[in-house]
Amino acid sequence: MQCLVIEDDADATRYICSGLKEAGHLVTSCDNGVDGLYLASNESWDAIILDRLLPGGIDGLSILKTLRSLGKTTPVLIISALASLDERIRGLRGGGDDYLTKPFAFSELLARLEALLRRPILREEVHELHIADLKLDLKRRRAERAGKPVALQPREFRLLEYLLRNKGQVVTRTMLLESVWDYHFDPQTGVIEVQISRLRQKIDKGHAVQLIRTMRGVGYMISEDD
Amino acid sequence: MTRLRATIAFRFAFGYWILVVTSMAVIAGAVYFGTIGLLRQSTDTGLSATSKRLTTVFEGGGLESLTGEIQRLLSDNIDQDTEDYLVLDVHGQKLAGNITSWPKVEFAVDQFVDLTVRRYNRQSYSRLLPHQLPNGDTLVIGRDMEDQRQIKDLILGTLGLGSLFSAIVAAAGALIFRRKLENSVAVIRHTASKIEAGDLSRRIPIFGPEDEFVRLNHDINRMLDRIESLVSGVKDVSNAIAHDLRTPLGRIRVQLDEALRPGVGGAQLIEAARSAIDNVDGLIATLNRLLQIAEAESGASRRFFEAIDLAAVAKDVIELYDAMAEAKSISLIERTTKNAFVLGDRNLLATAIANLLDNSLKYAGSGTTVEVTTSIERDVVVVIVRDDGPGIPEAELEKVLERFYRLDQSRSQPGNGLGLSIVSAIANVHWGKLVLEDGHPGLIARVMLPVAEEARIAAS
Repeated sequence: MQCLVIEDDADATRYICSGLKEAGHLVTSCDNGVDGLYLASNESWDAIILDRLLPGGIDGLSILKTLRSLGKTTPVLIISALASLDERIRGLRGGGDDYLTKPFAFSELLARLEALLRRPILREEVHELHIADLKLDLKRRRAERAGKPVALQPREFRLLEYLLRNKGQVVTRTMLLESVWDYHFDPQTGVIEVQISRLRQKIDKGHAVQLIRTMRGVGYMISEDD
Repeated sequence: MTRLRATIAFRFAFGYWILVVTSMAVIAGAVYFGTIGLLRQSTDTGLSATSKRLTTVFEGGGLESLTGEIQRLLSDNIDQDTEDYLVLDVHGQKLAGNITSWPKVEFAVDQFVDLTVRRYNRQSYSRLLPHQLPNGDTLVIGRDMEDQRQIKDLILGTLGLGSLFSAIVAAAGALIFRRKLENSVAVIRHTASKIEAGDLSRRIPIFGPEDEFVRLNHDINRMLDRIESLVSGVKDVSNAIAHDLRTPLGRIRVQLDEALRPGVGGAQLIEAARSAIDNVDGLIATLNRLLQIAEAESGASRRFFEAIDLAAVAKDVIELYDAMAEAKSISLIERTTKNAFVLGDRNLLATAIANLLDNSLKYAGSGTTVEVTTSIERDVVVVIVRDDGPGIPEAELEKVLERFYRLDQSRSQPGNGLGLSIVSAIANVHWGKLVLEDGHPGLIARVMLPVAEEARIAAS
């Protein structure tokens, strides 16, 4: 996929670009607002990674607003050192699809970027999700593994649904908290880990194939092949 | 003199003095015009009447009759000391009358004029009315105005004396006022200079009756208390940050140093890098928390506040932590009400409750019970997180709200001593507070926030 990285810090650009290339994406980068605005509005991209503070008189938010006023719906992931809550709200209200504060782990950026690229698929109307012998009936809110029903609490069901909608892809803890619990904050201890392990108890225990995997230092992934 | 003029006391006294003199002048003016004006008017009328009558006498019997009449008037024992008469011929030579000398001026006919003349040997300040007789002679009738002049002098004298007296009183008042003011201000200035020199514990001594200065000094002292506590807070926090960041930084340094030793293999290198990243992530998390506190304390996030059902938020957070409680064999009980609306930010409020739950789940220990209650008490929404674990000693309840403060027995646990500080800061930014109590046993953490309508009033 074609990604545009607009970021003025050379180290951060290198870090992001090499990571994205490793993950199989095509990357173009530029280090100032003027070129950024030109590239973002004149060429077609699958996603844009945008820093908020840029040299050259045009900042990230202006690029974003111009882009949106031109009717472009390209997914934009904002990365910024401006970490406060109101800055985040400003970024998202300005048309950003996601907001990541610096410093961040590349794995978090990649997981979020890929989630943005999958978004149209997520919106699709589906009635059933499945992986291997795990089936999720979204209409009747029921889950079964190897033909046997699994009793899940509503929140556990949503957690499993989110993992399945992103199957084969890594989702991070903060992504889970934001999507499943609909909160954006940084829970101190491993609440998400514990939630996952309880879910794992319910769907993986006693089965040969373990579906939910922990990706060390990154997050979780549901997948059937080892 | 310039020093004196630079004092409030002087300006006040001067202003009051001007005010007093002006009002005295107004009163004196009114009296003057009321008396002198009336007297003058009646004098003028009398002179006109006499002039008319004597003219008639002249027309009837000529100069002789007129002279006779004047003689009669001057010897009738009525006002004869104050009456002036003079008859002049066309050349200005005196024909009759009691005026012996007068300024050589051209008399304007039928116009009142004030002149100093001599009557026999007495000088007299008189009001005169000249009138031309049919034969061309001039009849001048006048009246001595000495008494009116005395009244005028008296009024002016009184005004002058009054001004002088009030000036003295004002000056004395200014001096006394200035001394009082300077004494009061000196105390404040003395304290201010001590504080400026670095002694923040100084306070303005308060004495005397409850007046403006005493109230002001109370206010200043309260402000100083607040500043001192903030400054010492900042000092403590910087020390704590320095200390708490040094430890993990030191650890990272050691790990990386060891990884660079000769003979260390690839696998160990990778492990060292991983561990360094974990430690750095911990540092970032700590810094994020500090920023979060600073953000909450600045109140910047209030711009995006909206009505939030705190009970619903509490429910969500409980759902988030239920697996954790289960894993630690702690029973997590929920007692929430409905529609507990506060004005706030959903994520901040969730952070606050999450921190309290986290705290209880971390320190209460397995087999305990943690209970979360939401209720509305009049116009306050109360969230209580209560556990029956070891709790916090009474003496430390206040201190745990300070940043980085950790109980000795909790130092072995992971954590940064910021959780309760965050809750407190979040409660404050929502116009509320966090109160910790000893639950005998366990800890009762009570977050009290005004209901949305009350908060709107507080916000405006």
